[in-house]
Amino acid sequence: MKLPLALKLLLRRRIVLFALLVLSLITVLALGAELFGRVDPNDTAVLERLRGPSGAHWLGTDELGRDVYARIVHGGRYSLLIAAGTALGAVLMGTLLGLVAGFFKRLDGPLMRLVDAMMSFPDILLAIALVAILGPSMFNVVLALVLVYTPRVARVVRASTLVLRELLFVEAARAVGVSTPLILWRHILPNLISPVLVQLSFIFAYAILAEAGLSFLGVGVPPEIPTWGTMVAGSQSYAHQAFWVVLFPGLAIIFTALSLQLVGDGVRDLLDPKLKKSMK
Amino acid sequence: MLKYLLSRLGGMAVVMAIVAVLVFLLTRAAPGDPVAVLLGDQATPADIARVRVQYGLDQPLPLQFAYWLRELAQGNLGDSIFLQRPVTQALWERAEPTLLLALMAVAVAALIGVPCGVVSAVFRGRLVDQCFTGIAMLGASIPSFWLGLVLIQLFAVSLGWFPVSGYGEPGAPLGQRLHALVLPALVLGLLNSALIIRFTRASMLDVLGEDYVRTARSKGLPEGVVVFKHALRNALVPIVTVLGLTVALMIGGAVITETVFGLPGVGNLVVNAVLRRDYPVIQGALLVIAAIYVLINFLIDLLYMVVDPRVKV
Amino acid sequence: MRSAHPAPPRRQLLLKTLAASLLSLSAGLAQPALAQGGSHATLAMVAEPQTLDPMASTADLVGTIMQHVFEPLYTFDAKWQLVPMLAEALPKVSADGKSYRITLRKGVKLHSGRELNAEDVVASLQRWMDNAPRGKAVARELAGIKALGPLELELTLKNPYAPLVAQLALPTGMAAIMAKEAIASPLKDFVGTGPYRFKERRPDQYVLLSRFEQYSARKEPANGYGGRREALIEELRFVPVPNANTRVEGALAGQYHYADLLPVEAMARLEKAPGKTVPLMTPSFGFPYIVFNTKEGVLANAALRQAVQTAMGPGEMLAAGFGDTRFFSAEPNHFPKGSPFYSTAGAEKYNQRNARLAKELAEKAGYKGEAIRVLTSRQYDFHYNMALLMAEQFKRAGLKAELVVVDWATLVQRRGEPKLWDLYITHSGQFPEPMLSPPQLGEGAPGWWSSPAKTAALEAFNREADPVKRGQLWAKVQQVVYEEVPYVNVGKFASLSARSPALQNYQPAAWPFFWNTSVKP
Repeated sequence: MKLPLALKLLLRRRIVLFALLVLSLITVLALGAELFGRVDPNDTAVLERLRGPSGAHWLGTDELGRDVYARIVHGGRYSLLIAAGTALGAVLMGTLLGLVAGFFKRLDGPLMRLVDAMMSFPDILLAIALVAILGPSMFNVVLALVLVYTPRVARVVRASTLVLRELLFVEAARAVGVSTPLILWRHILPNLISPVLVQLSFIFAYAILAEAGLSFLGVGVPPEIPTWGTMVAGSQSYAHQAFWVVLFPGLAIIFTALSLQLVGDGVRDLLDPKLKKSMK
Repeated sequence: MLKYLLSRLGGMAVVMAIVAVLVFLLTRAAPGDPVAVLLGDQATPADIARVRVQYGLDQPLPLQFAYWLRELAQGNLGDSIFLQRPVTQALWERAEPTLLLALMAVAVAALIGVPCGVVSAVFRGRLVDQCFTGIAMLGASIPSFWLGLVLIQLFAVSLGWFPVSGYGEPGAPLGQRLHALVLPALVLGLLNSALIIRFTRASMLDVLGEDYVRTARSKGLPEGVVVFKHALRNALVPIVTVLGLTVALMIGGAVITETVFGLPGVGNLVVNAVLRRDYPVIQGALLVIAAIYVLINFLIDLLYMVVDPRVKV
Repeated sequence: MRSAHPAPPRRQLLLKTLAASLLSLSAGLAQPALAQGGSHATLAMVAEPQTLDPMASTADLVGTIMQHVFEPLYTFDAKWQLVPMLAEALPKVSADGKSYRITLRKGVKLHSGRELNAEDVVASLQRWMDNAPRGKAVARELAGIKALGPLELELTLKNPYAPLVAQLALPTGMAAIMAKEAIASPLKDFVGTGPYRFKERRPDQYVLLSRFEQYSARKEPANGYGGRREALIEELRFVPVPNANTRVEGALAGQYHYADLLPVEAMARLEKAPGKTVPLMTPSFGFPYIVFNTKEGVLANAALRQAVQTAMGPGEMLAAGFGDTRFFSAEPNHFPKGSPFYSTAGAEKYNQRNARLAKELAEKAGYKGEAIRVLTSRQYDFHYNMALLMAEQFKRAGLKAELVVVDWATLVQRRGEPKLWDLYITHSGQFPEPMLSPPQLGEGAPGWWSSPAKTAALEAFNREADPVKRGQLWAKVQQVVYEEVPYVNVGKFASLSARSPALQNYQPAAWPFFWNTSVKP
């Protein structure tokens, strides 16, 4: 049974739309943490520890009596900030790297070797080593993750740049005397937006998971910063008597990462000419 | 062909050189003193200084790097400060669980991922496709430690089918050790199958759009034959590439799973080494892991070259 | 990514062969040493021991494992009384308290086969005094040590030193007696006299100890660490399981014969699983304590330290760290009721949790809002939870706490640098002899507490030979601690461990031991 093209696109779009909605909700909650958070996420109340969801504590309390809902909302802010910082940083640096490598033939070789070298380490291992060196702080985690994901972006951008070079007859333009910055700015960069956007979305998702993983191992952000990862890490011993302390942050991670990937996929489908062609 | 081979080897060498420098700088820049850990809380500064000299940690940085390179050339990765044994031995002891886990996990990922990916591609756009793609995305959104904890609770604690952690008793036969790897392999396999599903699907779609597939169809061949005999075979090459690279990345990349399940693998070794500031181990392990990855990459390239279809077909 | 090429079957074959060879390679890889037949016990420990040299580390874990291999001259019985182990009897002390004559038991076999003699003991003690922190403290008091005969030796002190025998007895940083020829640094051969001998160590995997068939046991019935020791289990397997949750699950699943130091939260789960595991509570296991940097930084100001102590609420901190009230007790006395050192001196300064008063005191002390750096680590959950809570208590008193959470390795290193911290959190076991812990009662330990009042109180305390009078003199020391605040003893906590029902005759102890225990098949 073959559905009409428009309907297919619409179906796809709906999930993406839904994902975007979820993301917006999360973002709003996180940004407006003070408003929506209700209480101080670090407010300890040892007598109230490990209480289940109730009217006073929507998602229960953790091992120090802190409100889980507040910690998820505030934690969301930190987790999202770290992931967003990572995605933006990786995209910026990666685009720069990939652009230069793809455009200037002489720099291509050495730069790509550097990229290859960085990509020969498993992500998480490299991140662990970097954070261990730089020290546990939010900024350092972002920095480490940026370094981990930059090569990925660089490769994609380089590939696209190479294609664009040929496509846009860059050699010819340069021969005629068109200035390089102009070419880069007005012709190449705009065409890079779509692959870069896709990368942005996926790296955002990876970063959320990576930060959670680092925090779980105890080598991520300092634990007084309530990110979703540190919430799971800190409360895992209590997971059996009080599953909510681990369940809800876990769900937050899953939903956010999932939504981001759906959005990334949607953008990719939208902007992928090859796909459009093959769907005819 | 020789020219290509040499250029690839050259590229590989450059990459490894950069890796070596990166690894060395990485571990030397860290705060925290491994000697203090080894000697215990109340060691005197004199003790610490003495052992630092013993491990050559008092020399200037470039000199340390030169010493390190010379050792590498002799196949000596140095001695672990904490473990009191050569780094190569420490890595060798971890090789078995790491490799077995990687292979088992990739097998699981392939067994789940490839068929689902093929079905997804063949029935593209339909409900099946959307389901599988959705599941794949879900799989890529689940943190491995979360899945690990869930599976442990279900299969190890409640049902008791598998051990909660560890790699079998000391001296356990291979069967028991493999048994201990089932749950971690499931975790890694399930999560990686997400990638395999999507990749298989993409690869199949690529191939299904090729001319020779259309030719095969127009020849009147049944769809099943087209899909399996022609399309899948060709799509399989990049898929196997990805599987191979996945194995390579799991050597060291399975840290979280190894930690959750208490497996004495290479990833776990590195994390512990980082926490203990055991420089030789961190350096040696990162170097070996990267080398394996680069090597596997190179081998795959080689395989492509050797079996180049433009020559054979 | 590469685009697809049509792939002839040969490529598949190549790849399959590669896979197969990889698999067979891995299957033949390193096999660990094994124990066939005979009984064995799997003991889940908190971590991987840093070293197996009992003199090189004060860690509980090292002591726990190696006390099976090495024995001290004296040890503690179930009531924490000193009893002889390798020595025949308690030492003959001269009238002036400066000379200790020790006679060894006859015919004690070393793992190497020959009999132990005084030369081995002197060499071992010398090594201990050169390497172990408590050994070094003893060395300062010692004028000399020499062998008087094949089984006789004499220790001569500069001044009477009451804790001497206790120092020789403690299993951590043990004055372990080993064969003279095995002595080396680092220690490679572990030749002791214990009921088990060292077999194999695979770091992060296991330490194997196997029964020493020619063990020379004492005749008295077993009592605490003393008396007759029998290695009923053929092989002991100590496995490091750093994740506390995993130790609990393993205990519940019956995977371990013994699981050490479980989070107290797990008590409920353990109790609900009868037949699978038996929870064991060791009351008054130890005390968490917080060390103040009295040398440099904002807390070098004694008045401010007093303000900080006023803001602290150890009761609440213990609740945060241990949850269940069965597992902790907030009490001002550093030693429990019944101990000769029990005293409530300074009690009014304990557990004040008075934010208002603290703020006043801080202002008077000249506090200008500087950050108080609190060094802690995640390795022990309860340290971290207590630190978080303490930070909140400080906040209420207008004191600014800055949590510096680092790896334990980094913490151990950093606490030796006076410029890097103001407070750090750790814990210790509860010992019968005050001088054994915390190290701040000695010299040069992090915190660098040094004052005339301290010296005076400790001198009087350690010179006193009469145990009863000495017990009373502790009050003076405790008072000084509450006044000068070099450290805060947070309270007492009990530890939770679990054993499998198959492990028989296990006696709970501060450093778990497995001689005299057996495993039901």
